[in-house]
Amino acid sequence: MENSQKVKVSEKIKQNQDYMKEHIGIGVSFDLGYRKLTILKKEIDIYYLTGLCDTSVIVEIMKMLVDINDVESNQRKLPEIIENRLVHQQVTRVKGMDEVVDQLLSGLIVIFVDGLDEAFVVDVRKYPGRGPKEPDTEKVVRGSRDGYTENIIENTALTRRRIRDERLRVEIMKVGERSKTDVCLMYLKDVADDGLVDLIKNEIENIEIDGVSMAEKTVEEFLVKQGYNPYPQVRYTERPDVASAHLFEGHVVLMVDTSPSMIITPTTFFHHVQHAEEYRQSPAVGTFVRWARFLGIFASLFLLPLWLTFVMDPSLLPKGLEFIGPNEEGNIPVVLQIILADIGIEFMRMAAIHTPTPLSTAMGLIAAVLIGEIAIQVGLFMPEVILYVALSAIGSFATPSYELSVANKMSKVFLVIVVAIFGAKGLVAGLTVWLLLLASMKSLNTPYLWPFIPFDLKGMIQILFRVSVPLTKRRLSVTHPKNNYRQPPS
Amino acid sequence: MENNQTEPKLEQNQHKKPMSLFHKAILTGFVGGVFWSGLASLAYYFNFMEVSHASFILRSFFNGTWTQGLLGEVISMVIVGVLSIGTALVYYLFFKKRGGMLPGILFGSVLWIAFMYFLNPMFEAVPLFSDLKMDTVITSICLYVLYGTFIGYSISYEYENIQLASSNKGKSSQNAG
Repeated sequence: MENSQKVKVSEKIKQNQDYMKEHIGIGVSFDLGYRKLTILKKEIDIYYLTGLCDTSVIVEIMKMLVDINDVESNQRKLPEIIENRLVHQQVTRVKGMDEVVDQLLSGLIVIFVDGLDEAFVVDVRKYPGRGPKEPDTEKVVRGSRDGYTENIIENTALTRRRIRDERLRVEIMKVGERSKTDVCLMYLKDVADDGLVDLIKNEIENIEIDGVSMAEKTVEEFLVKQGYNPYPQVRYTERPDVASAHLFEGHVVLMVDTSPSMIITPTTFFHHVQHAEEYRQSPAVGTFVRWARFLGIFASLFLLPLWLTFVMDPSLLPKGLEFIGPNEEGNIPVVLQIILADIGIEFMRMAAIHTPTPLSTAMGLIAAVLIGEIAIQVGLFMPEVILYVALSAIGSFATPSYELSVANKMSKVFLVIVVAIFGAKGLVAGLTVWLLLLASMKSLNTPYLWPFIPFDLKGMIQILFRVSVPLTKRRLSVTHPKNNYRQPPS
Repeated sequence: MENNQTEPKLEQNQHKKPMSLFHKAILTGFVGGVFWSGLASLAYYFNFMEVSHASFILRSFFNGTWTQGLLGEVISMVIVGVLSIGTALVYYLFFKKRGGMLPGILFGSVLWIAFMYFLNPMFEAVPLFSDLKMDTVITSICLYVLYGTFIGYSISYEYENIQLASSNKGKSSQNAG
């Protein structure tokens, strides 16, 4: 590798041919090829990667090149003539062979001219991909329906459509020794915290790996180093409006080529419980929706442990709530019922992801009607267990962030087990430990439970209520924005 | 007028300045007191604890029926909020420079020992420490620890931020000079 990095484009076109044959396997790999042209009695080679370039553009360029034979005669000025005739806005001259190879494999065409120690690289890329489509995971009733795609260039375009600011910075880096994946860092220069931008840039530059085929997830793991902590430390979004809203707030958005999910940093727990839909409705409705969602998330976490506590010690129940708890003990301990039912729901969830749509209706029928009904009749589960497990499952589906809902599920199982062992004491102690652990987490130097612990009144109000936009004059302090105001202070 | 014109930057800086740490401590103390005592009331309602803050503040000194039930709890929540400003200021005065969460946890534990153990005889409506149920002991210590963390971490984090901001400002002015 060391050697090849020093190789320069040779004046002798034969040497270049040999290099290409040896290094990228022209003639072996079927999708790489070259076309020989003779222009003013000199040989010109055009190298291409069939899958990734736009043939119509190449044909157009070749027409212009061949035309040179008819209208020009000055052989000595051939390189300049050719450069002029490359009718495309993105033409660069490249000296190093390794860069030539990199560009060729990204889908650009490379043109060698006999007698010239440089190569022309023309950006005629056209990547296979889909058009912008509303992301499945973040649907809204009203509002824009475009979503990020797998193409990083399209993604920057979608963001630029929303932020035409001259101060928007879009820095690109390459990650992966072999995959050479493009990673792009987006931020507002005069708002985002310099320290944060530098920190992220450093972390990305320090990634040394052969390839990042799982794109943004792999990059995230290098970035936040969360180990076995299940709680998500960055927020993902596939919606350009959400990403630009965060850019305005002073967040840094990371996009990785081949993935439609953008990474938003830094994030706290409460970033994961908000949803674009709330900002598409009036503040009152948005607040209502948000509180309903909070209740759902709350239920997905605490309902089962709390109910189990009351089942184990009915004396805890205050007057008027004595009806809670089973009328007759089942055949299996309640804890086991809860855990079994919960695992059952987990089966269903996983199966629903992999099952093709025609089969999933049948699957839902079997799962819901047969298992639910019959498990009770057989005496495996108590009806109340099914009710609370279902409620908590629905609550977890109402969590806007998929990552958070899974992490909450794990915490719930932990709490259920602690309650089963220690009862009410276990619930309180378990909750305390859970809260303290969450509060001690830091994602890119941002406390995870901000604005709750450490407390910040303004931030907390914006979490608890969907505040109307004209009233939110200041940016939240969590990103340490360099410019505090979104609207001129009155 | 001239003064205003020559120092427009100063005014802007004043706008940008976040709430001072002192005010923030007061606010955090009040909110923390109300929030965590509210949780304590909830725990009392569900019989996780046999005493609540109202037992300390109201029921030990007054006998009316209003000290029972929701009304008593709410009144006592507000009182705890006000008293909690005092504890927050104590933390602000002595411990604000200690970063992280551990000091807050210890602070909460010390408060718990003080109120539940040493000051216990002062409160008639609270059973002796040795008579308290295990559930009560665990629940109350957890609440105190969380309360301490809330107060401590909030104040020290804000202190850290202000230090950081002022050191950054110092740097940039040095560069400008």
